[in-house]
Amino acid sequence: MTLTRLALNNISASAFRSWVIFLCVLVVAGFSLTITVITRGAESSLELASRRLGADIIVVPQGTEAAMEGALLMGLPTRIWMPRDIVTQVAAIPGVEVASPQMYLSTLSGASCCSVDEMFLLAYEPETDFTIQPWLISTIGRGLNLGEVVGGTYVFTPEGENIFIYGYIVTLIANLEPTGSGLDQSMFMTFDSAYDVARISYSRAEEPLEIPPDSVSAAMVRLSPGADLDQVADAITRAVPGVTAVKSPDLFLSYRQQTGSLLRGITLVMALTWVMAIVAVGLVFSIALNERRREIGMLRALGATRSFVLRSLLAEAGALGLLGALVGIPVALLGTFLFRNLLMSSLEVLFLFPSVTSILVLFIVGLVLAVATVTLAAFIPAYRVSRLDPATAMRD
Amino acid sequence: MILLSDVSKTYELGQDRTVKAVADVTLEVRDGEFLVITGRSGSGKTTLLNLAAGLTRPTSGTVTLDGVDVWSLTDNQRAALRGRKIGFAFQFPSLLPSLTVLENVLLPTLFAPNGEDDGTTDRAMELIADVGLSEKVRAYPRQLSAGQQQRVVIARALMNRPEVLLADEPTSDLDEHTETEVMDLFRAIHRSRGITIMMVTHSSDLVHYGTRSIAMASGQVVAERDLAHA
Amino acid sequence: MRIAIAALIVVLAIGIGVLPQFTDCQSQGRQLTLENGRQIPMKCHWTGQAELALAVPLLAVGAMMTGTRRRETNRILAAMGVILGVFVMLLPTSLIGVCGSAEMICNSTMKPALLFMGALVIAASLVGLVRSERANYDLP
Repeated sequence: MTLTRLALNNISASAFRSWVIFLCVLVVAGFSLTITVITRGAESSLELASRRLGADIIVVPQGTEAAMEGALLMGLPTRIWMPRDIVTQVAAIPGVEVASPQMYLSTLSGASCCSVDEMFLLAYEPETDFTIQPWLISTIGRGLNLGEVVGGTYVFTPEGENIFIYGYIVTLIANLEPTGSGLDQSMFMTFDSAYDVARISYSRAEEPLEIPPDSVSAAMVRLSPGADLDQVADAITRAVPGVTAVKSPDLFLSYRQQTGSLLRGITLVMALTWVMAIVAVGLVFSIALNERRREIGMLRALGATRSFVLRSLLAEAGALGLLGALVGIPVALLGTFLFRNLLMSSLEVLFLFPSVTSILVLFIVGLVLAVATVTLAAFIPAYRVSRLDPATAMRD
Repeated sequence: MILLSDVSKTYELGQDRTVKAVADVTLEVRDGEFLVITGRSGSGKTTLLNLAAGLTRPTSGTVTLDGVDVWSLTDNQRAALRGRKIGFAFQFPSLLPSLTVLENVLLPTLFAPNGEDDGTTDRAMELIADVGLSEKVRAYPRQLSAGQQQRVVIARALMNRPEVLLADEPTSDLDEHTETEVMDLFRAIHRSRGITIMMVTHSSDLVHYGTRSIAMASGQVVAERDLAHA
Repeated sequence: MRIAIAALIVVLAIGIGVLPQFTDCQSQGRQLTLENGRQIPMKCHWTGQAELALAVPLLAVGAMMTGTRRRETNRILAAMGVILGVFVMLLPTSLIGVCGSAEMICNSTMKPALLFMGALVIAASLVGLVRSERANYDLP
């Protein structure tokens, strides 16, 4: 017979009350975990997407920043064009180490049976590219040949079929790691492949792929070591007419602002549910302890000190909190993982599911918070009951 | 054993109404006696018991247990004192429903560890045997009759080898036959262990079990009978 | 507790049977067009039909569990629940599968929902199984 045994027995004794608190903790812990995963994942996915692009500055035609962000972040195909020699002009600016052009294209809608409608195609120039090309070399040892593509993590070749782009068969060579962004559903090919597809599309595809001659969509800029980001960006804007130089830290700014308010909103909701849970648990405990006044008075009569009573009641609370979180958090993790695509599309927030270590940390933090919260919520009613005069408690 | 000196207990019922449950009572509970306290409900007998046990603070007067002023102690000391020296049989069903008979009887060991950890389970089994419920050791209170439950309560009360047993209307919920059984048990315990018993009852029929009886009315002792030599 | 588990299994069984009918690609009007012009449902549809076939015995398991207290029977029913739950999870993943693209509703909604519900069925059945094993006498 120990305090723990007594506490555990008391939990099973008033099953209804215990279930209520258990479920309350389960739901709140699970919900809080989901929100935390989404908000933290959103941050990491943005960081990862920016890093994946690897550019310090992205130069696009003036007024097309939003379209460019939509393409790179959400995989929303877009058509923006600027004259090719802008790249040369940008490359000449002091502080610019490399300026690599890219073309933003898209597949036809409903291109192959199970692919995304209108997939975003990004064409790059292997000679100057400093993101995809080096990754390819390190992963598969070579660059892309004509007709080969690299896909984001969700791109695949349908079983027993080929990937057709404008009637042209391409071969999927490799997949990038997940970024939690639209790049996961995009395809990357070389300029040569893109021109080849365009050429063939006039005869093979329902609609031809039109690439304006001597045009590119954007220029990825990498700075020389020691160059000042703001200075170079200003220089580009001044020297080259009709373009905007988007600095890497400002990338996805509009998206960040939009989702920022959404994320703040749901974090607020999460905080509110915590508060409500504390109040609810406190109430349930109050009621339950009121019913157990006699029993507690009896224990005091038998020799239990006030602190014993308090400790055993708090132990009950802590145990319920622990159990609720032990079930709620893994279930929420499972649910968030399984439904991540649905969450991303309905909330319109991109997030990356956390790594295993992050998950463990979240789990432990969640457990501790749950135990602390329930114990805190139960404290006032438990304290009051423990201070009761035993004879008064046993009256009625 | 227990000395109540000029104790009063006044309850405030709010709205400036007060009730004097016990009024200036002086009572000595002597070592080894079986004191039966009778009175109608509201006469203050339960309050008197609670005062004697140190469960409620007297509005005036002192309560002494074995020479120690109970209310000069800290709350923890008082609790420890109760755990060591006093055994309780309450009026209401006081067994914890989620614990077995054995676990219920072992409950007092939580509060007054005797230092003989190994012996406690054996002792509990002995006590359960003494009250005639050996075969119910692993049963739950809901599986016992009211009389059987009360016997378990008595076993529990004896667990820490108390010097005095306080019983508050222990047989009020029982039928006549069971009542006799339980009262016989009290008498047997009194005789075999020499333990002091202070029992409250509203039934004057039970007075003859004791060695002394007092009657209460309106918070005061109105009659006293010495039964030991009767 | 036994009733709670049984009720949960019944609810999950209904979900497993009904949900795919509304979240497979066919319900969204998307089908496969063969070379000869015929339209046939995609494999997520067949997964959904198979899930319906699993949902019915699962419903029976849950219903029967509410009706019997006998330890042996509950043990068997719980074991069946586990097995059925495993198959609920295997169908959309390895046995038949769903469409490939992440954006399609069968992938974003139907498959995770089935996996989630299947996992819950397994968990609930395991709890029931453990309780049956540990009970000394019939379950309350």
